[in-house]
Amino acid sequence: MSTFSKLEVKDKDIVTSLQGFFKTLLESKKIDAFMVPWHLPMKEVVMPTLISDVEQLDKADPLAPSFPMNAAKIASRLTKKPAGQTIALVMRSCEIRAFIELIKLKQGSLDNTVLIGIDCLGAFDNRDYASFAKKEVSTVRFCDKILKDKSENIEGLNLAAACKVCEHPVPDNADIIIGLYGIDYQSELLLEAPTVKGEELLQALNLPKTSESASRQQAIKSLISDREAKRDKMFEETSLATSNIEKLSGYLASCVNCYNCRVACPVCYCRECVFVTDVFDHDSFQYLQWAKKKGRVKMPTDTDFFHLTRMAHISLACVGCGQCSNACPNDIPLTELFRTVSHHTQKAFEYEAGKNIEEPIPLSVFNDKEYEEVVGINKQSTE
Amino acid sequence: MRKKIGTAMVVGAGISGIRSALDLAEFGYSVTLVDKAPNIGGILSQLDYQFPNDRCGMCKMLPLVNRDSSSQYCLRKGLFHENINIMLGTRLTNIEGEPGKFKVILKQKPSSVDPDLCTGCGECARVCPVLVPDSFNMGLSERKAIYLPVPHNIPNTYTIDFSSCTRCGECVSACPTGAVKLPEEKRKNFNILVVDDELIVRDSLKEWLEDEGFSVEMADSGQTALDMLKQNTYHLMLTDIKMPGMDGVELLKEAKKDLPELPVVMMTAYATVETAIEAMKQGALDYLLKPFDPETFTPKVLEIYQTLEVVQEIELGVNAIIVSTGTEYFDPLQSNNTFGYGRYPDVVTSREFERLLSGTGPENGLLQRQSDKKPLKKIAWFQCVGSRDIQTNADFCSSICCMHAIKEARLVKEKLGHNIETTIFYMDMRAFGKSFHQYKNQAQNEYDVCFSRSRVHSVTENKELGGLMVQYVDQKGTRNEEQFDMVVLSIGQRPSSGTKELARITELPLNKWGFCESEPFSTSLSSKEGIFFGGSFAGLKDISESVIGSSSAALSASRFIHSIGGSLSSETDEEIELKDVSRQMPSVLIVVCTCGKPQIEGVEQEQLKTNLLRDPAVNDIVFIENTCTALGLSNLKEVLEKSNANRMLIGACLPHVYTGKVNQLCKGTGFHPQAVNVVDIYSQDALKAKDEGGQSLESIIEQKLKMGFAHLKRMDPPLAPIASSIQKALVVGGGIAGMTASLAVADHGFKVDLVESQDQLGGNLFWLKSTIEGNDIKELFEKTVKKIENHPLVKVHTQAEITCSFGSVGNFHTSAHSKKEDKPLSFEHGVAILATGGKEALTTSYGYGTSKAIVTQKEFALNLDDGSINPASLESVVMIQCVESREQDKKNYCSRVCCATALKNALLLKEKNPQVGIYVLYRDMMTTGFLESYYTRARKEDVIFIQYDVENKPEITKDGETIKITAFEPILGKNIEISADLLILATGLAPDFSDAMAGNFGVRKDEFGFFQEAESKWRPVDSLKEGIFSCGICNSPRNITESIATAEAAAQRALRILGDNKILAGSIVAQVHPSLCSLCERCIEACPYDARYIHHENTHVAVNPIMCQGCGSCAVVCPNSASALAGFIDQQLFDVIDSAF
Repeated sequence: MSTFSKLEVKDKDIVTSLQGFFKTLLESKKIDAFMVPWHLPMKEVVMPTLISDVEQLDKADPLAPSFPMNAAKIASRLTKKPAGQTIALVMRSCEIRAFIELIKLKQGSLDNTVLIGIDCLGAFDNRDYASFAKKEVSTVRFCDKILKDKSENIEGLNLAAACKVCEHPVPDNADIIIGLYGIDYQSELLLEAPTVKGEELLQALNLPKTSESASRQQAIKSLISDREAKRDKMFEETSLATSNIEKLSGYLASCVNCYNCRVACPVCYCRECVFVTDVFDHDSFQYLQWAKKKGRVKMPTDTDFFHLTRMAHISLACVGCGQCSNACPNDIPLTELFRTVSHHTQKAFEYEAGKNIEEPIPLSVFNDKEYEEVVGINKQSTE
Repeated sequence: MRKKIGTAMVVGAGISGIRSALDLAEFGYSVTLVDKAPNIGGILSQLDYQFPNDRCGMCKMLPLVNRDSSSQYCLRKGLFHENINIMLGTRLTNIEGEPGKFKVILKQKPSSVDPDLCTGCGECARVCPVLVPDSFNMGLSERKAIYLPVPHNIPNTYTIDFSSCTRCGECVSACPTGAVKLPEEKRKNFNILVVDDELIVRDSLKEWLEDEGFSVEMADSGQTALDMLKQNTYHLMLTDIKMPGMDGVELLKEAKKDLPELPVVMMTAYATVETAIEAMKQGALDYLLKPFDPETFTPKVLEIYQTLEVVQEIELGVNAIIVSTGTEYFDPLQSNNTFGYGRYPDVVTSREFERLLSGTGPENGLLQRQSDKKPLKKIAWFQCVGSRDIQTNADFCSSICCMHAIKEARLVKEKLGHNIETTIFYMDMRAFGKSFHQYKNQAQNEYDVCFSRSRVHSVTENKELGGLMVQYVDQKGTRNEEQFDMVVLSIGQRPSSGTKELARITELPLNKWGFCESEPFSTSLSSKEGIFFGGSFAGLKDISESVIGSSSAALSASRFIHSIGGSLSSETDEEIELKDVSRQMPSVLIVVCTCGKPQIEGVEQEQLKTNLLRDPAVNDIVFIENTCTALGLSNLKEVLEKSNANRMLIGACLPHVYTGKVNQLCKGTGFHPQAVNVVDIYSQDALKAKDEGGQSLESIIEQKLKMGFAHLKRMDPPLAPIASSIQKALVVGGGIAGMTASLAVADHGFKVDLVESQDQLGGNLFWLKSTIEGNDIKELFEKTVKKIENHPLVKVHTQAEITCSFGSVGNFHTSAHSKKEDKPLSFEHGVAILATGGKEALTTSYGYGTSKAIVTQKEFALNLDDGSINPASLESVVMIQCVESREQDKKNYCSRVCCATALKNALLLKEKNPQVGIYVLYRDMMTTGFLESYYTRARKEDVIFIQYDVENKPEITKDGETIKITAFEPILGKNIEISADLLILATGLAPDFSDAMAGNFGVRKDEFGFFQEAESKWRPVDSLKEGIFSCGICNSPRNITESIATAEAAAQRALRILGDNKILAGSIVAQVHPSLCSLCERCIEACPYDARYIHHENTHVAVNPIMCQGCGSCAVVCPNSASALAGFIDQQLFDVIDSAF
């Protein structure tokens, strides 16, 4: 059972309040370092940064609508081997979910970590964030737009496609969840501790206790149902746009094999992708053979194959963070495609990526009786 | 492959013969495996599905270490092993010489179809005008006189059935490769003398025989015949018996004086059959019954001709012989009640039904009513047809039919859907194996198979609706009638037809039902030294029992061969240095054999050459005629020696023909056998594609070559990894199983450490006195312990407990703690055999513990022994079977020994006190096999058997010293009350196999707490972890004889590994590219053989190549091919796919 406390917001400035909260935690010595989005001084860019100096938290900004990478990958690096110190990982919902998947794939660990999730207000893609940053609008203003005005259009800029259809605005599986939706965020934030680890940390801070209000639950519920409706519409459109191999080829036509999407993908965990190994290093003769057989061969080759392989490899682990689209130099709407496919594969195995750390990865489990209509040798028909 | 000088012959190549042959061959002996059939596989070649998984799985019997010594594909299709010579169409006709130095005479039918030339195209069968019932489909379909004995064999060579062949010669001219040759010419030289006083008989016989191509002369009297015999040479004389003057028998006597070798066949009418039989004692070969008609006469003479002339006689020296010729099935027409079989097409036998279910069956697995081809809605099975039936001389249980019927009923549901109604009519449901009861429960609860304990009276036709009406009497005695679409008769087993002949040749006695029986406490020892029984030849066994029995037979034979020095000297192949071509740029020599028909010639060859040479990886392309012949191979060798190619592709026909030849060639040239690929370019599908698709032959050949080339191009021939192996065994548990296994291993010259937790050896043998058959257990106990104690190679450690064990096959390290000496023990060993045993289970049911008069079976035995129970003073004894057994969460398996024990006790009590009333309350009497006769005897001796259901168990009340048992008597239909002064509870067996023990050795426990075998049918004593075996009660509930058989089987499995100081892995094993490995460990989870582990530097996953079986699961789960299967890497497979389209 979760326990709830209140974090007071001064001057309606939630960013400074959050910084204050992080500072208290770091000062308590129960945490050795924070991994948190942080404004780089040299450029208007927000990057996950590992901070051990309390003062440095002044520039931490987990609510900035910037999402240059999925920090689950960083979390994996920080936890794959024991570091002997406790790190607080401040991540978005989709980052936490990706991290859970990586842990299941033995690419990270929850040992010596505290996961801090904040209600996610979404983010812009990289290009839009650069424009947003130029406009010098504060994160607080952005939060007001989203939370108060309930608008996804901020200064003419739209949230990233993935965020618009995200049905996980509230993070699961965190040790501390910082609530923003459905509360008077300008005066207080909700701190939820769903785990013992989180509860112990918060208890030490002696914050006033509270409970989760019905209005918050209602707000979340209605947000999710809005998102789901949008998501389903997106699924429908994407399915239609990729319903056969020709259409799919068209969808992916501008792919140039830069592999940015798989570098950006948090759950593409291979040390090196098979597509850059000699498996796909075809003989020169082979290209000519292909050209000869069909009269032409599109170069670079294996682009559709690459995306199909990625779907096969990661669709069960896809958390829909949208980084693939963010990374694509040619604006292929990969998020839409991968989310659509993942939705079906995850449903088929009654699995939801990142939801439950105890739940084994579907393809690592052998069930005697599963998909008998597909694999059953004796079955002539299901009926 | 190691080779020892010992040799063995296995007669019968069914599942048992194959198991024995493989066991002996893997140990290093040369094995000759003979079968009279033209194919291996026996009955199983016709069975597609086996429980418990309702699939096949025979291939699991193939070697796991040194895999490359054997073919590694479907065992139902064929078997090739370096140490096994398979002789089909071959009969054992005589055994001469001494045990250990047997001279066996075999007769092999030569094939009229040359297996080296036959491509299996089927042209011959297409043109053959003869149609006869196909025995493969139990006569439910038809085949030609030239036919495939089994549709799925590799190589699948056509065979001619000469008893139906008309010698029209169509097949000879139709064969594109000239493989068919009819032995016509030979018959002309086969002179037959026909002696009969009746001209009409002489004339017609002459005509028929000449039609068949024989030379025939005639004599009208005995005297004329004698004169003619003096002048000419005759190969066969057919003589009438009743003739004026010198009669046939006299002629026979006279003729044999001068010509003792002359085969004579008597011709006789019914009246003189006795005389004919008498004549056979005087040297006649056979007799033929008059009146004659060509349909019966000709095949009979042809059969005689085949055995006399065509058949080739082969003489072979062998050290030991295993007889595993299996059983045959009861013919329902031989019974008084045929249940309409033979009259109604909808009544079929279980074996026929199996063919109807099969996709290769007469109706391609499309089940339908046989009479009118309408859909099936209701099917009934009748159990015990020809079993447990004194009228058909079958006072035995066939042991397999109950499970067979359940399996068929389940399969029907799976195939036709759950709406179909299935009913099994039975007496006792003998689901007596470890997992059988659960399988039966699933059939009942999940598949809704109806089990009806009743007696079927008759079957009649349902004239209105079609199908059949079944009249039966249920348990209450009520008569019922029910409509069914089909009735399946679960036919019992009978000795195989050759058993009598084999018994004569081997001079072994048969029991009253015509089976050979093995010696006490053994399933494999015959009364004759050097001759052993495998499988169901010596009793009624299912697959798993047969597999255990034949491994036990292999052990006995091996032990015998070893004792005469057969395994002492060994010759190993010369180590040849193979060129390492891995990582070299591929340079492939392509060899195309040109003997194919149709051929590719001049221009086409040039075109092919031009096309293929475009690929820079092609070194050269050469055309060689008859590549597989000696001349062709020497030409090939010459080409190869001159060539600088590092891989070679051969395009020919029948790749399997090349396996041995390529190895031979490679030995001479240092070429790696894995760098050679043989592809079938002239196969029937190539020819078919040409016919149908209009594709040119050279383009088909080009494509096939390209696919073979693609696979070969990036083949980095792996060198099979070799690991050292410790030639010592550890046996855990010193009961009869552990002791037997220890002795079996030690008798082969290997050291054994036997660890027993108690202070003495013996286990359950301590308290058991004698078996139901009257065999002396005490004597067995003392003899075995003595042998162990005196064996120089067995070291016994009593009062010792295993503390931990690690390692893999060939190299295990195990620690134990000796309580006796209070010090740690440590063992290094190559294999471990777990025989931790089991005990009589405890109980709290039926008032146990509240009265001295309520005892378990074991307590009864002990009390009887120490005199605290006096049979003479007993008036009424009640036995309750299945106490806390075969119930959900309560030992949900049959313990197997309790029914026999109850009968043993009942008969014993009756013997000591015939007046005692004995009541056995049972659920199903599990008296399988020959035990059935004791059940019959007990009933004759007035032991009363009352059946109860688990929902309605007997109840106990006590009245002072007397115990009152209330039970529902189903025949009376009401509760009865029995007063007893002794209540004996059959509490069953519980395994003694702790979690710690399983964990230490890295093996699993099954859901009942027994050792989890790798596969219940095909690998019943193995664990999935190679090198760890189990036997005795910790493996599964067993009686002493069965425990011994499992122990011998486990020892034999262990000996395969102990036989050498090194272990050769297969060349197809998984590999890991450390630089690509992300350590996600999914491959470790996926590996079924525990062959994967995290490298000690914690940087990547590594593979133990000896444990790896090359299944490729790891390669499948690895997303970036950091894990790959040698010989099947991504590039190769992509290339193959590419070249196919």
